[in-house]
Amino acid sequence: MHRLWNRIDFAFSSAWQNFWRNAAVSVASVLIVWVVLLALGSLLLVLHSLDQIVAIEKTKASAISVYLADTTPLSSAMDFKLHLEQDPRVTNVAYVSKDQALARFRQLPALDPSVIDTLGTNPLPASLDVTVRDIRDLGAIDQEVRNSPLVDKSPATNYEPNVIDKIILLARVAGIAGLVLIVGLTGLSVFIIMLTIRTAIYLRRKEIEVMKLVGATDWFVRWPFIVEGLIVGVAGAAVAVLIVGFGYRPAVINLQSVLIFVPLAFDPSYLRIVLAAMLGFGLLLGSVGSYLGVRRFLKQ
Amino acid sequence: MATVTPAAPQISLDRVQKTYPNGTVALRDVTLQIPKQDFVFLVGPSGAGKSTLVRLLIREEKATAGTISVEGQDLSRLKRRHLPYLRRKIGMVFQDFKLLPNLTVFQNVGFALRVTEGALRHLKPKVEEVLSIVGLEGKENKYPDQLSGGEQQRVAIARALVHDPRIFLADEPTGNLDPATSWEIIQLLLQINARGTTVLMATHNREIVDVMRRRVVAIEGGQIVRDEDAGGYHAPALESH
Repeated sequence: MHRLWNRIDFAFSSAWQNFWRNAAVSVASVLIVWVVLLALGSLLLVLHSLDQIVAIEKTKASAISVYLADTTPLSSAMDFKLHLEQDPRVTNVAYVSKDQALARFRQLPALDPSVIDTLGTNPLPASLDVTVRDIRDLGAIDQEVRNSPLVDKSPATNYEPNVIDKIILLARVAGIAGLVLIVGLTGLSVFIIMLTIRTAIYLRRKEIEVMKLVGATDWFVRWPFIVEGLIVGVAGAAVAVLIVGFGYRPAVINLQSVLIFVPLAFDPSYLRIVLAAMLGFGLLLGSVGSYLGVRRFLKQ
Repeated sequence: MATVTPAAPQISLDRVQKTYPNGTVALRDVTLQIPKQDFVFLVGPSGAGKSTLVRLLIREEKATAGTISVEGQDLSRLKRRHLPYLRRKIGMVFQDFKLLPNLTVFQNVGFALRVTEGALRHLKPKVEEVLSIVGLEGKENKYPDQLSGGEQQRVAIARALVHDPRIFLADEPTGNLDPATSWEIIQLLLQINARGTTVLMATHNREIVDVMRRRVVAIEGGQIVRDEDAGGYHAPALESH
């Protein structure tokens, strides 16, 4: 127990000294780790949000809202509903009145309801929400209903055939670009940590010589430098975790107020996973960088 | 495979050769046996191979050919991870002391115990014990640059003693010291030897070797040219003219 404690105490106090003796280089390596982890955390959260949006859009995919002109009387709307219900491709048609549409609109997250109240009138159209058996029929139905005089012209429906594909493509491009960036930054940060550790080894060369002479084991000599790498990893991770941890929610809220129709949500359980992954990756960068730093230089 | 008996020498070199990667032949066909508790001077001109021999004994270098055994262990077969445990049995001092300037006397000596994972509660009594052996009580909190050369070498000797080594290797320990101080260091080495530790001292110091009348092993050009009990720095034949 005493021996283990001695070993830990020696490794940590030496590592701490190394870190500060070599402060400029150490801070540079903390910064690069911080940048990598910030990029990693942001990428994971952005991809997760895109996933969420895709999932929600997919559930909507088999339905379109057909917007009715405000001039359409309710009886005509009901006839139109009946007409659509008789279509074999259609499984369900629901009528949504202007008031219901407004109520739904008020439910959108991050929307200030008083904005609508100041308009005085209800700008939202009534609609028929049409669900189809096979989503490939949506395009044809969209074409048909557009020609009806009952239907609003701006816009006629919410049919956007490529929206999911576009989001998936966006997620893929963002994922690949982010991955390339992170791989590059990871290589750079491991390299800089390795240089930091080599500088520390150089500054301690006399101690290392004496340690080997009096019979310290290789791992006893190495540990302080590995711990120094871990300190760099944790320090970089700590800053990045704080920024992402406290910044995610405000970022989501801000985006929700800009992209009101995008179903963007704050997901605290996923955030915790991301933060843990960032910390873990920081430790990994630190240990790999310092291992590479000690590997060659402490062999003889 | 010879078994190790109590009669076996503590240090044994058998037809040892050392050629450095650049082609320099430092030792050629060196055979030498040193029994327990012996006190041996290793003499010879600079570049004769004294330091190489010392480096081979702590396996800082590996022999190119021949076998070296220390404390019954064949050094060519010693695994790298077992090397630290060999080093703990061998105390080692150098001409340049190799003290750490940012540590006090106490810390310099304690360092050897700390980095070999000695239990910390034994550290203070052990350090005090070896500091009293070398006569440095009261200087525990001085830094190396506050000490004379002789005192610095005493710190180095104390550090080499914390593991109660069976073998004590001194490579030119008096090389940087004046004659009076050199004698003090020699007295200390004799005292260590009297406590049962084998001492091997590589030196240029002719006066000391001649006065001491101990075993002298002379190396020249990488070969042992003389091995005499109670010898002098030079062979008698050379001294007579």
